[in-house]
Amino acid sequence: MNKILLIIPAYNEAQNIERVIGNIIENYPQYDYVIVNDGSTDGTYEICKHCGYNVLNLPVNLGIGGAVQAGYLYAKRNHYDIAVQIDGDGQHDVAYVKDVIEPIIRGQADVVVGSRFVKKEGFQTSSGRRMGITILSILINILTGKRIHDVTSGFRAANQRFIDVYSEDYPRDYPEPEALVIAMVYGGTVREVPVIMRKRQAGTSSINLKRSIYYMIKVSIAIFIRRLSYGVRREKGGNKK
Amino acid sequence: MIPSTLRIVLLIGVIIYFIFILHFLKNKALELKYTLTWFAAGFVMLLFIIFPHLLPWLIHLLGVESNMNGLFLLAIAFLMILSMTLTSIVSRQMRKINRLVQQVAILENELNQRNE
Repeated sequence: MNKILLIIPAYNEAQNIERVIGNIIENYPQYDYVIVNDGSTDGTYEICKHCGYNVLNLPVNLGIGGAVQAGYLYAKRNHYDIAVQIDGDGQHDVAYVKDVIEPIIRGQADVVVGSRFVKKEGFQTSSGRRMGITILSILINILTGKRIHDVTSGFRAANQRFIDVYSEDYPRDYPEPEALVIAMVYGGTVREVPVIMRKRQAGTSSINLKRSIYYMIKVSIAIFIRRLSYGVRREKGGNKK
Repeated sequence: MIPSTLRIVLLIGVIIYFIFILHFLKNKALELKYTLTWFAAGFVMLLFIIFPHLLPWLIHLLGVESNMNGLFLLAIAFLMILSMTLTSIVSRQMRKINRLVQQVAILENELNQRNE
């Protein structure tokens, strides 16, 4: 039996966290979970403590990348076989976790992305954002030869090998597309499976339109640099052997 | 060729500069490791003051016509290298802080589990 951990990063999710975790505890007892409270200021941590949830409390705000990485570190320390990232705002339906982990259990993939765009059902996000996602997807395709459609999806699973990799090497801000490139340059197989996402129920998304230009530039450079350092890293790995 | 009055002013300036660095080091307000660049820059300035022909020669070598422009060019280049070094130090520290924060959170979690 595989030990499966749901990593739930939460930054100011006081309105959502009880519903999200309550659902996991009640309906999906086969999964362990850990909330990573990323220095929330709205009492998210107090709610978690009060309800007795399993929570990692980051004393200062690290941003989504640092929070998710804390989750991977926790997964590594507690010897989980598979770690699944799920947003703390209720966008991702836990019912799809079994689909997302299936390719890993079967040994067909190292990292799996839950994608909105494979079946094009459910919440599809705005057209502007979809365009940005398509551009990044094409860029990653050019740099790695692998086409992933929903490169910004935060619904993803990693096997034990990539729990190790991500706990050591995970981008700090806007990590999702870059993390896929990391998986590929470390020789991992990335798979995409269809999921249906909901529109977030409360609170606001971490990426507003104003930041999207910065987002595109930063992420494009980041994945480009990742690809550039591939040869260097590979040589080092070769020397160690 | 630097005028001799300017050389004296500069010499006093460089001496004050060194006193400042030593003062900060004595009070442990600066890490010695990070002041080595500053020391190196101070010695270069000292060299230029002691050997006044050195600077015009170097500037000419770079292909710059005016001595003052050449001096600014060198100064700006030095400052850029310095701020790049600082950015790199900040980045490295950020990585360390990241890991520390994560580790603190994990230890707190384990402590709470044990107390329950």
